[in-house]
Formats: sequence, C-alpha cells, structure tokens
Amino acid sequence: MKKHYKSIKFALFTAMTGMLMAGLTSCAKKDENSPGVEFMPDMYRSPSLEYYSTHTVDGDTAQTAKTPVKGTVARGYVPYAYENTPQGYEAAGLNLKNPLTLKSREEYEKEGEVIYGKFCIHCHGATGGGDGKVGGKLPGPPPAYNGTLKNLPEGKIFHSITYGKGSMGSHASQLTQEERWKLVYFVQKLQGPKEVAVDSTAAKKEIAPAKK
Amino acid sequence: MKKYISRNSVRTLVAAIFTVFAFTNSLNAQDAANGAKIYKQNCAVCHASHTDQKLTGPGLKGVFDRVPKPADAWLTKWIINNEKVIKSGDPYANKIYNDFGKAAMTVFEGQIDEKGVADILAFLKGPDPAASAAKTPVGGGADSTGDNKEKPSSIEPIYLILGVIVILAILIGAFRSVRISLQNTANRAAGEAEQEEVTFGEEARRWASKNSRLVGVIVIILVGAGVKSCWNACYNIGVYYDWKTQKGYKPEQPIKFSHKLHAGENEIACQYCHSSVEKSRHAGIPSVNICMNCHKSIQKGPQYGETEIAKIYAANGFNPKTGVYENKETNPIKWIKVHNLPDHVYFNHSQHVVVGKVECATCHGNLKEMTVAEQKTPLTMKWCIECHRKTEVSMEGNAYYDRLHKALKAKYKGQYDVKFTVDKIGGLECAKCHY
Repeated sequence: MKKHYKSIKFALFTAMTGMLMAGLTSCAKKDENSPGVEFMPDMYRSPSLEYYSTHTVDGDTAQTAKTPVKGTVARGYVPYAYENTPQGYEAAGLNLKNPLTLKSREEYEKEGEVIYGKFCIHCHGATGGGDGKVGGKLPGPPPAYNGTLKNLPEGKIFHSITYGKGSMGSHASQLTQEERWKLVYFVQKLQGPKEVAVDSTAAKKEIAPAKK
Repeated sequence: MKKYISRNSVRTLVAAIFTVFAFTNSLNAQDAANGAKIYKQNCAVCHASHTDQKLTGPGLKGVFDRVPKPADAWLTKWIINNEKVIKSGDPYANKIYNDFGKAAMTVFEGQIDEKGVADILAFLKGPDPAASAAKTPVGGGADSTGDNKEKPSSIEPIYLILGVIVILAILIGAFRSVRISLQNTANRAAGEAEQEEVTFGEEARRWASKNSRLVGVIVIILVGAGVKSCWNACYNIGVYYDWKTQKGYKPEQPIKFSHKLHAGENEIACQYCHSSVEKSRHAGIPSVNICMNCHKSIQKGPQYGETEIAKIYAANGFNPKTGVYENKETNPIKWIKVHNLPDHVYFNHSQHVVVGKVECATCHGNLKEMTVAEQKTPLTMKWCIECHRKTEVSMEGNAYYDRLHKALKAKYKGQYDVKFTVDKIGGLECAKCHY
C-alpha cells in the first residue's frame, strides 16, 4: 500500500511550499497610493493640528493654515517704503541705495551668486543674458543685464525683485530683503561697468516721471 | 495682420512672398530681423507679439487696426514716448492707459530711435515667428511620450502560485480516483476483495501517522517560515517603503506635477519652490504665488497642455485670458505629503541642508528623473542612525569647532579614532530627535 501514497507525499509537499511562498509574497505586495500599515497611530498623528491640513470646527472643515490677522507683522519684517506703482519704481531707482555695507562688495557678490543660482538662473541664465531654460519658454525672454538693463540703478533692481516686473513675479515671499540686496550686488556684477555717458541721460529720464 | 494686408490691394498681390512684400514696403527682411531683436530685448517682456495674450501689456495681434490712423505714425510716437501721447490728451492713449490699471509703459526715448521703431513695426507686420517654430517638434515631446510608456505588467507571483496549487489539488484528486479504480479493477481481476471505501481525509490521516517524522519536519519548517514572514512583515509597519523592491509611497497628486520637467529639463533649483528649506524646519510645499511666477505667462505644458496648469488658476482665481485675478473664490490645492515622519520624531531641514550640507537627493532620491514624486529612502530610525554613524562632520571654515577640534585632535593623536562623524557630536542622543 505504501507506494500508493508516494504521489500524495510529493503533492502535499509541493502544495505546502507553494502556499508558504504565496503567503510571503502577499506580504511584500505594496500599493503605491497607500502609505502602508501603521502601528499605534496615536504616535504618528498627534491631536495637535498639522500644517497643510484641515480640521473640523462645528462640523465645518477648516484649513489649518490661516491668513494672519490683519496688521500682523512677521518677526524680522522690514517694511518697504516704495509702492508697487510706476511712480514707486522710478522713486526707488532714484533714492533707494543698497544698505549692505558691512562686508566687502566681493563677499556679497559671492553670496549673491549662490542665491542667483537658485532663484534667478533658470530664467535669466548664468550670465544674465536672459537665456535660461525657463526664460526661453516665456513669451518674451528676460532682457539681458549687460544689454537693455545695463544702466538699471540698484533701487530699480531691488524694486523689481520685490514686486516683479513684466512677466516676472514677486519674489518677496521667497527671499528676505537682505538676500535681495545680495542679489542686487551680483546682478550689478553681471551688468558690467556702467556706460557713464548714457548714464547721465538715463538719470534725467528717470527724474521726469517722478515729478508727476 | 491679414486684414491690414487686404486693405492694401497692391500689397495683397505680392504679400504671398515675404521678401517681395518687404521690398514694396521699402523695408527688407533685415529690418524685420533687426526689429525682432529689438522687440525681444525691449518689448517682449510685456507684450505678446502675434497673439492676443495679455501679459503686462496688451497682445499686439491686430494692433495696426486698433490704434488711431495713420497707425505707423501713431505707434512710433507712442513707442518712443507714451507719456507725451497720454498727456497730449489723445483719447485712445488714455483709454489704453486706464484699461491697464495705469501701469505705464517704459519711455524709450533715447533708447530706441525712429529707425528702430520702424524695424519693430516691420517685425510686427511680418509673420509670427512662433508659428514657424511650432512646426518643428518642440523638445520635451519625446520625453513626455517616454513617460507614458508603461512596462507590460507581468503576472503577479501570488496568482501564479495559487494557480499551481489549484492544478495540484485537481491532479491529486484525479490521480487518487484513477489509482483507486485501477486498484479495484486489478483486485477484481485477481479475484480479491475490493478496496474498502476511505475518505480522502482518512487516507491522508493514515499516511500522516505512518510518516509522522516527515510530517513533523514539514510542520516545523512551516511554523518557522510563518514566524519569519510575520517578523519580516513587522519591519514594514509604519514604513512607507518596501525594502525588498526599493519602492516607496508614491501617491497620485491632485495636479500631475512633474519634477522631471521642472527640476530636470528646466533646471529650476529645488530651493526655488521649496524656499523655506534653508530657513526652517520644513522644506515647504510652494504656495500658488510661486507657481504663478512662471505660470502667469506659461499657460500650456508639453504633456497635458492646459488642463493641469488650469488647476493652478482654479486654485487662485486667475483668469488666463485677461491676466487678472478675477475669481474671488479660491481653492487650496490639496497636495499629498509623500515623505512622512511620525509625530514623535523631530526633523529639521535647515539643520541638514545648511549646516550639514546634505544634498536634497541624498534623502529624496533623484527627483530630477521622477514624473511622480516617490519616497526613495526608508526614512526609518535605523536609516537615520546609519547615516549619522558614517557621515563625517566638516570642520572647514567652522569657527565654532575649528580651534577646539584642532586642539583635541593634537591631544588624542594616536589614542582614538580621529574620524569625526555625526554620532560623535551627539548624533545618536535620543533627545536630539525625540522630545
């Protein structure tokens, strides 16, 4: 009789190994959209509100990130005196001067270059010629620093970074005033030496609209 | 443009050939090319040349029909000094000025002369450079089609094994009945009594008791394997990452934002959008105004066209046609956080990125090649500690540690391992991360 059971013995062994492997692989399978199993969720998700999330107040879903109360001033915030108007732009060009003077110009230029590499280079290009990868995709590429913008005064550069100009948006939320001024130093380096003769006429032109 | 030509019947005759058209206008292609250059440098930032798209200023399609006649003379006056034209009380100039929120156009007097303006006008009358450029395939198209390709999904191993088990069960049953009937026939032929009727379970039980040693070994192996697989499964609890396949949490986002396109092809630095990474504990999900720094102008993507970018506009109430934030109703984009740490872990981005000078890709993988952001590292405590144990702290230019480090290095030279890793300055202290 014994030999009749041999087939069962083999089959049983194969079947059990198969089941075991199936069990193992089913544990390893993972849904990309699911974060997986959590043990003691209380330790993962505390009752305190997480940023970028929602919570319910009296049955209503509310956003955790709130607009600050009107008149709130962020710590370290320095007000900017010039308005986002053509008049403000001209006035900034005339009166606004770079307040960063503690270190040498070269040091600020170096720091500015690092910031430029993160925040400007993709549109304005490595040499400020407006040939960045994104600049080419804009309807109009940014004008060159050592071309059209060669004689742009520092105040106007700062004003443009703060409020944006043309296709460029405001970068005030990404850069502090200090960082913006460091950038101004580096942009001035990219502008190259100013053409003195044109500079005087340019200054005159700037005065005219400011009088209005 | 076309309307303008049609009104000039003489020109219409020759308009088909651009060079001849330019010649009759006492202009030539060179003027238009020069105009294009001047236009690109001075005007393109605020004006779309051959379309209606409103940037800061109006799109210049059909501008020659809109402005007071004679158009060329009026436009020349306007371009050179628009303020003078406005002040002179010109009704159309004042209307445009007020329509665009009194955002004054730059005065180009002294920067562009009349010849330059004439060249610009020649360029504007000429064909749309973007239309001819659009005929050639735009870069990025090839890549985007590459993303669509999905690998043909192979059969999941679990179904394969289940199939084998089912087939085996059928075979066992079939062979058993065949064997029994064969045995019975053989018995009948030999004149012996037929086999007694036994159920399958009874037969298996008998076999098991006869081979108790083999069954015991199999049971021990099975139990051991079960315990091991449970043990392994425990490693995956709370870990959004599969150690074996090296695949992590990769949720579908509300907008099909591609890091590959933005950070890879367009070479935008990570910090441009995640700008708080150097200043704060969180790298931050960019607010919509940062999207709008580019997408105010770029309204069409290479892969999904306008549909995905339109979701940004739906979020902030921007009307791409008028270029104004018209819709007061705004809806925050509900991005899904990919890299999660439990609430009982403190992690600070600025500490790692600024002080430790850790590259983004060290923990987040090469996002420049990901169309959908995916967790590429386990983000477990073991993983943190391994990195803290092997990462050396750079003392270069660190005024705080400089002198101390030099002195200690000299003092303990030869006595201790002088490799200065993170764990040596408290990188393994419990309270550094759990408090």
